[in-house]
Amino acid sequence: MDDRIVNFIAGLRAAGVRVSVAESVDALRAIEQAGIQDKDLFRAALQTTLVKDPQAVPAFQRLFPLYFGSDAPPMQQPGGGGSMSEEEQQMLQQMLQQMLAEMSPEQLAELFEAMMRGQQPTNEQIRDMLGQLPLPPMTHPYYQEWMTRRAMRQMQFARLDQALQELLEQLREAGMSEEALQEIAEAAQQNQQALAEQIARQVGQQMIEQAQAEGMRPQSMDQLMDRPFEHLTPDETKDLRTLVNRLAARLRSRMALRQRRGKSGTLDAKGTIRTNLRFGGVPLIVRHRRRHLKPRLVVICDLSISMRPIAGFMLLLIYALQDQISRTRSFAFIDDLHDVSVDFAQCRTERAIEQIQERIRPPRSYATDLGNSLGTFVQDYCGCVDHRTTVIVLGDARNNENDPNLEAFSQIRRRARRIVWFNPEPPSMWGRYDPGSLSSDMLKYMPMCDSVHHVSTMRDLAAAIDHLFTRRG
Amino acid sequence: MFNTIGDVRTGLSTQQYIATDDISTAMFLADRLGKPLLTEGPAGVGKTELSKAWAGATGRELIRLQCYEGLDETKALYEWEYAKQLLYTQLLRDKLGEVLGDAATLREAADRLASEEEVFFSERFLLPRPLLRAITSDKPVVLLIDEIDRADAEFEAFLLEVLSDFQVSVPELGTLKAKHTPTVILTSNNTRELSEALKRRCLYIFIDYPDLESELRIVQLKVPGLAPKLARQAVEMVQLLRDLDLKKHPSVSETLDWARALVALNTRALDQKTIDNTLSVLLKYQSDLQRAKRAMEGGSGRRKERGSLGSDPRGFEGLDRYN
Repeated sequence: MDDRIVNFIAGLRAAGVRVSVAESVDALRAIEQAGIQDKDLFRAALQTTLVKDPQAVPAFQRLFPLYFGSDAPPMQQPGGGGSMSEEEQQMLQQMLQQMLAEMSPEQLAELFEAMMRGQQPTNEQIRDMLGQLPLPPMTHPYYQEWMTRRAMRQMQFARLDQALQELLEQLREAGMSEEALQEIAEAAQQNQQALAEQIARQVGQQMIEQAQAEGMRPQSMDQLMDRPFEHLTPDETKDLRTLVNRLAARLRSRMALRQRRGKSGTLDAKGTIRTNLRFGGVPLIVRHRRRHLKPRLVVICDLSISMRPIAGFMLLLIYALQDQISRTRSFAFIDDLHDVSVDFAQCRTERAIEQIQERIRPPRSYATDLGNSLGTFVQDYCGCVDHRTTVIVLGDARNNENDPNLEAFSQIRRRARRIVWFNPEPPSMWGRYDPGSLSSDMLKYMPMCDSVHHVSTMRDLAAAIDHLFTRRG
Repeated sequence: MFNTIGDVRTGLSTQQYIATDDISTAMFLADRLGKPLLTEGPAGVGKTELSKAWAGATGRELIRLQCYEGLDETKALYEWEYAKQLLYTQLLRDKLGEVLGDAATLREAADRLASEEEVFFSERFLLPRPLLRAITSDKPVVLLIDEIDRADAEFEAFLLEVLSDFQVSVPELGTLKAKHTPTVILTSNNTRELSEALKRRCLYIFIDYPDLESELRIVQLKVPGLAPKLARQAVEMVQLLRDLDLKKHPSVSETLDWARALVALNTRALDQKTIDNTLSVLLKYQSDLQRAKRAMEGGSGRRKERGSLGSDPRGFEGLDRYN
């Protein structure tokens, strides 16, 4: 049993669940205490000691039946029910013998024998059979069912039915009673079912072991963080979206730490007197006023097709951090500027982002016009920028040969505390002509920005946003 | 105390706590292996209640440490009682004068005072906070560290020593070791990622909202005054609300509050008016209330068609887009 648990833990690790050695020791101790009679309790004991993360629960639930699967009830010998006479038994054995001798390939004969004699093959035997099959080296759990079907097909599992029918036919001709035949058929079919389940489990385990051997882990959070936004598949986008909240929590505690470490600053007179009352008013402990660096943000997002995914993620992250920000106004543009703050005030962040992306669509290709949008901003919304505001522009600064409107940009700059630019293109592309979207004005805007960040992955984005909260930024 | 997992379940149920297999297994193992148990899950599913029930079932004292941002060792572990120390020095001034009076030099006086130092740094002047109380207690206790995710990461690191060895070091007194290993239960609402190190030292269980039948059992157990049919309707309704896209989903404790409210109002049937009047017990945000009401209007229209409470949150969303 211990071996199986150890194998199971190795399987969990291969599936990307972090299990430490101490935890596996705990698991074994827990099993000693909880016992293995009741399978539900056994599973609960393993889960409570091995899985420390809600995200890892699905992996646990997927692997558990593979290792401790509902071992089907022991196979029964067809015709063992007692309704067959001695002769009939012998007849069955003889016929079976004959058929087995003629059957090919060998594996199939083995399976058929197991099915008809009610002797379950060991897992190793099944493994041997699988080993002889030319199965593709797939390791992703997604393919498990497909792999099982494929293995069955290659084993010619379906021919077992045929063989059973043949055998029954022969027995009938030889004069066996219908009742006995019925019994044989039922038992054989149950055995076949059990075999199928056993094979499926073994295929699953084999895939996990392969994954282990390759050291290939399913995409972990870290890998996802480093993947460029434009290469994300829809599935990964979903994963990443759930990740944003945890990322926000992490950023938040980092900010809290940063604030705590700031042990200098203005003296908090009230606090100092209050804490030192217990020393008879002698100021032994000096309290400082905590500085809350809650920035005010104005976010201007490019929503053109190429920028959509990253804009979504940035808004998601910024709105997840609302408690650290005193105020956020958001704008989106393609050819002209739209105020989207209202959407966020009315619905939840995810919904708001969906709404915005549905509503604001490019009217034609090559429509992006940053210059015009900045002009609109200065004209209509300049009031929301003051000396405490940080303005974030998210865009690739590809302006389709339109006027970059540097005048408007410098006007915003004069009013704002700082301007930060997030650009998903690598710095080497800045200012280069690109046939897809023509000119890049990044280099023209750059001297006016307080800082420019290259954000092509979630990690970049998190770092850039984290940077907003530092004193200098 | 409890020999099997089944005993744990019956023990907890005597405290009016309905434990699933997972919960009773985890509690049993936490007790047997002497490891802390970390419970995570949405607010109001009975994480804190579990430790109260456990304390009740085992007849142990429950010591609770509520975590919050800025919690530090002096609040969690111990503090020297400065005022008392000062008071003692004042009152003992004459005695001190006597002891130090015949010292020839200042150095000798200081040495003599130093030799008496332990009088002032003894357990007499130590103000034990929850952690120290749990460790120095003469009887085994249940220690509840509530909402650990609200405390800072530094405090979490500090907890590691306490949780792995059940001992704390006080510089003036040395290391204090637990006489009895306390049963430690930590709760977290998952607002922040806890450190790997902490998770590794704990057993872990995720408690989610209960399904309809379990929640119904809880309601019937805790609010016996509510008619069975009404209780079922109420719980069904709460379960539907949890499917909606709300800012804050109603918790089990809120279901119980609602059930009590229904009893207090002497409600006979769950009609539109009662729901409108009492829904604020379940939902605490204005936007959630409106959304739920809209969904219910859509739902009641559907109810006629399908003969059941509308249960298609997606449909509701589609509806309110046009509102």
